[in-house]
Amino acid sequence: MVKVYQHTFNYDHPWSLVTVAYWLRYPNPFASHVLSTDVIERTVDPTTGVLHTTRLILKRGLVPRWAQGLMKSNEAYILEESDIDPQTGTMVSVTRNITQKRVAYIEETQTLRRHPDDPERTQVKLEARFLSNLGWGLTSKIEAFCQRRFAKSSTRSRLGMSYILERLRETSKFPAAPWRPAPASSL
Amino acid sequence: MTASQPKTMESVGKECTELKHQYEDCFNQWYTERYLKGDYTPQCQALFDKYRQCVMKTLQEKNLIGTIDAARKELGSDFKP
Repeated sequence: MVKVYQHTFNYDHPWSLVTVAYWLRYPNPFASHVLSTDVIERTVDPTTGVLHTTRLILKRGLVPRWAQGLMKSNEAYILEESDIDPQTGTMVSVTRNITQKRVAYIEETQTLRRHPDDPERTQVKLEARFLSNLGWGLTSKIEAFCQRRFAKSSTRSRLGMSYILERLRETSKFPAAPWRPAPASSL
Repeated sequence: MTASQPKTMESVGKECTELKHQYEDCFNQWYTERYLKGDYTPQCQALFDKYRQCVMKTLQEKNLIGTIDAARKELGSDFKP
């Protein structure tokens, strides 16, 4: 059984800045569940400019506490594959867990698009698919948990991105200079 | 917001974290100063190769290469460690 959810919103920042924030979004105060991130592959097409990136992300807290006994650990590896097309102003990122898949499989697609009417804004579309193969009547419970969590985690990820976007704006160096993490005292 | 909030993100292999930051600093600079201005010529390859070599070693130790490979086959993209 697969459940699908979707929602859309805008960031009040230009697309190029939003894509910079996407690379820099971890760590942030709303993502303490993210333990590590690594770029494992990255290619750029010199003609079209399409930038393809594969990242491996380790996250904690895939399933609710009551289901943790079913797993050896409550950490899961997430594979994130993204394409940036600078010509059209589009970024598509697909993330999915590649471990603990029997308990819960969560696939999220995030599309960031330059706003057609306002270059200072970016359209965001989030889609998620959930699937559990646990059986024993637990499948629907896990899927219901995933559904509730989707609302929560998409809010959290939006807050995290907004936090990074504000930091980028504060440095007011963009795009002339690279962003550096702000010192802890200014957070 | 707690005082323990990390300022930088770690690599899956603790010993790769420094290499990761060196590469990502290079990438972020390239991305904002070159890529977004229309210059798509790749840079930072030497730093990336060094960093990636370290990560691949860690992934091999954690027996994750096959898992990543299988996941990517489902999408039709190939993963070559």
